[in-house]
Amino acid sequence: MVEIQSKYLDEKLDQVRAMDFLQYRSGDLPTWCPGCGYFGIMDAFYKACRQMELKHENICTVSGIGCSGRTPIFINSYGFHTLHGRSIPVASGLKLARPDLTVFAVAGDGDALGIGGGHLPHVARKNIDITFILFDNSIYGLTKGQSSSTTPYEMKTNSHPVGNPDSPLNPIRLALSYGASFVARGYAGDPEGMKEVIMEGTKHPGFSFIQILTPCVTFDKSNRTWKNLKENVHPLRMSPEADNMETAMRAAENQPFGVGVFFKDKDRRSYQDILDGLNA
Amino acid sequence: MKDINIVIEICGSAGEGTISAGEILSRFMSSQGYEIMSFDSYPAEIRGFGKCVAHTRISSSVINSPGKLADVLIALNDGHSISQLSALKKGGILIYDSQPAKPHEEDKSVLGWADPSVVSYGVPLAMLAQKAAGNLRGRNMVALGAIAALFDLDREGFTDSIKARYAKKKQIVIDSNVNSFLEGFDWTKDHIEKKDTFTFDGVSLEPRGEKLIINGNQLVAQAALDADLKFYAGYPITPATKIMEILSKELPGYGGTLLQTEDEISAIGAVVGAGYGGIRAMTATSGPGFALMTEFTGLSVMAEVPAVIVDSQRGGPSTGIPTKTEQSDFNAALYSGTGDCPRVVLAPTDTASCYDATVLGLYLAEKYQTLVVILLDFFLSNSIRNIDTPKKPGPQMLNANVNPTEEDLKDYKRYKFTDDGISPRAIPGTPGGISFYTGLEHDERGRPDYSDKGHLAMSEKRYRKHASVLKEAPAPVISDFDGDRADIGVISWGSSAGAAHEAVATAKKEGINAASFSSVMLYPFPDEALIEFAGRCDNILIPELNFQGQFADYAQGVIKREVTRLNFITGRPMAAEDILDKMREM
Ligand SMILES: Cc1ncc(C[n+]2csc(CCOP(=O)(O)OP(=O)(O)O)c2C)c(N)n1
Ligand code: SF4
Ligand SMILES: [Mg+2]
Repeated sequence: MVEIQSKYLDEKLDQVRAMDFLQYRSGDLPTWCPGCGYFGIMDAFYKACRQMELKHENICTVSGIGCSGRTPIFINSYGFHTLHGRSIPVASGLKLARPDLTVFAVAGDGDALGIGGGHLPHVARKNIDITFILFDNSIYGLTKGQSSSTTPYEMKTNSHPVGNPDSPLNPIRLALSYGASFVARGYAGDPEGMKEVIMEGTKHPGFSFIQILTPCVTFDKSNRTWKNLKENVHPLRMSPEADNMETAMRAAENQPFGVGVFFKDKDRRSYQDILDGLNA
Repeated sequence: MKDINIVIEICGSAGEGTISAGEILSRFMSSQGYEIMSFDSYPAEIRGFGKCVAHTRISSSVINSPGKLADVLIALNDGHSISQLSALKKGGILIYDSQPAKPHEEDKSVLGWADPSVVSYGVPLAMLAQKAAGNLRGRNMVALGAIAALFDLDREGFTDSIKARYAKKKQIVIDSNVNSFLEGFDWTKDHIEKKDTFTFDGVSLEPRGEKLIINGNQLVAQAALDADLKFYAGYPITPATKIMEILSKELPGYGGTLLQTEDEISAIGAVVGAGYGGIRAMTATSGPGFALMTEFTGLSVMAEVPAVIVDSQRGGPSTGIPTKTEQSDFNAALYSGTGDCPRVVLAPTDTASCYDATVLGLYLAEKYQTLVVILLDFFLSNSIRNIDTPKKPGPQMLNANVNPTEEDLKDYKRYKFTDDGISPRAIPGTPGGISFYTGLEHDERGRPDYSDKGHLAMSEKRYRKHASVLKEAPAPVISDFDGDRADIGVISWGSSAGAAHEAVATAKKEGINAASFSSVMLYPFPDEALIEFAGRCDNILIPELNFQGQFADYAQGVIKREVTRLNFITGRPMAAEDILDKMREM
């Protein structure tokens, strides 16, 4: 990670010190690069916790490895920084062990779709009640700019200097086809919108998949930049009911910059609920 | 008093009731007050007509090993039994089908291959089964009837054991089996002229309380339930699968949750997640699965989260030999993964100690906030013993978490430095205990800290904690010395320990001055006791079921001298006879 200017942070801190939602912020200052989209995600997260009035000690955030992996240390709640790709299994075990806790799992695009890609289908089909936030900057940030599973075809990266030969995954389409019962997208430049989907995902009893489009300002100068995102992001153009899989799939395909809820299955029972039913 | 010590093998092909006949024999002999140890071998391929052997040792005194060669071979299937003859003692007894349903091809009769010293009895197994039940299925029961008659076992008592075995089946199944047994018994009494001298008659055994007839996997599962296990995650693999299957039935009734995961990485990940959540959690696997779990073994140790992995060893490396026993994961259990990574390793030495090791493992993991690996092997997982009902763990074994005091919570440090290395652990949900766990090197508050001083201090803390575990370790089992010194000291671990202790006891009777040592605790190892023991022995012998002598390498490093190694990777459990032969040579 790139060195951060303490002056910048001081100013930023002053600006927001008065704000109430900052009680969810830990005493540790984020070590992310100035301008990184992750700051926006954190803001939305704090605000969502505030609005839902979650008790600090009942929140658990489980992360993998990457710039996104540091997230829990910046939250004033319980947190577990685990292994590259493994936030989902750990969060699943935690939630089944402690249904009383509100469990978040966070991961980078490399974390969740590359090394940990094998866990996603199963947590989705089991419908374990965790809220999963994908910090999708379409690059490996922490290891400094190699191609990830969402890096566009032909984009030049540090691991593919003449162009990425691999085609990117479409995370929303994957989540839908894996059977996730809540699928949404947010944009790091829109904390209010992100707050809304995080809250809705948290309240959803089952696995919630939330992709956040976010820029890595240090290692991606051409693709998912603030400029490109600002120009392209728009609210999803589909029914807000979001209860139709076909529509959701089409939107996943045709609206790569659409933000909002793609799909939710209100009737689907959570894993715990199913187990309780089977063992009753 | 007359002593009984006999090994009976039943050999057939899959589907001939070989294993269930062995089970009934064990059940009956146990009900008569005998010690039993039985072990089945069957093909890795589930379908087809592979060879099955039910091996049962029966004794009127304590036994610790399965016995190597058989005294009696019951051939349900001639083809397979021909290859089993090499495991029959010289002068042993062979029971075979004298009127098989299909005539043998040339050279395929077991009788023709038996050593001339063998005493053989032909019993028309197929014909009698047909007579008793109208089909051939009861040949195994006819054979049991034959040995019951030959060796003067209680006709009615035996039928009770058969009824108990099939209690949940339809009446017609029970009747067919019982009638086949009786047919075999009566025919043998009427037609067979006894040529051997073996009999169970005239043995008087102390009446004993009800015994459990059980294997290691069943005991691990039962112990986990009794020790307050609340979460199990796993992925099926021989020979550990049965643990998951038992728990999937039982755990919900104990208020716990079972999760079948997509792979072993996810299984141990979920166990670590549940352990982090403050409940007792474990998984069970074998070599290939343990290999996948390696990355989480490091995280459990580094982030100080309780986790228990049962590794039932099988032939390795890689997929290896799924249905053969081996002790070749010693190094993996102690050293798998990267970095300086102190974890706890326990290896039960017999069936009964599978229970105690599981209870202890869950306790140590919780109290010391670390990874505990429990090493079973195919033999311990599957061999059946009759044992006393284990004593359930008391409250001090069930509530082991070192909770933070109010004082601690005023300024809570998750990784606080302490004398014994144990930092009080606030469970998520505890107000005031908010903390950050990480697999990165960290300071007392869990914040990443890459400084040389910090890394050293935390490494010291983890090793201090590891050393503290030894204070709660079960003491090594050390035999009496005849005088101050022994010519041969046998040091053993895991499932080979029983054979080693038995070999030493027999050797002493033969006039060999020997002593034996075994420890359930493998890591941290009771090095001081080992050094003291070795110091009193002129020669050291270490028998184990791996090629390299993995434990021997460890022991040599501690006692700083060469040891004699005895290594087998035949897939058979260690036999006392193997060790004795080596001792006689030394
Ligand atoms: C098993 C393993 N392999 C490789 C790494 C090195 N590594 C750390 S983070 C990372 C990629 C991070 O990319 P991403 O998941 O997209 O997260 P970001 O940094 O972009 O937030 C890699 C390859 C590791 N920590 N562990
Ligand atoms: S994701 Fe990129 S911009 Fe953000 S902290 Fe990491 S390297 Fe810096
Ligand atoms: Mg990334």
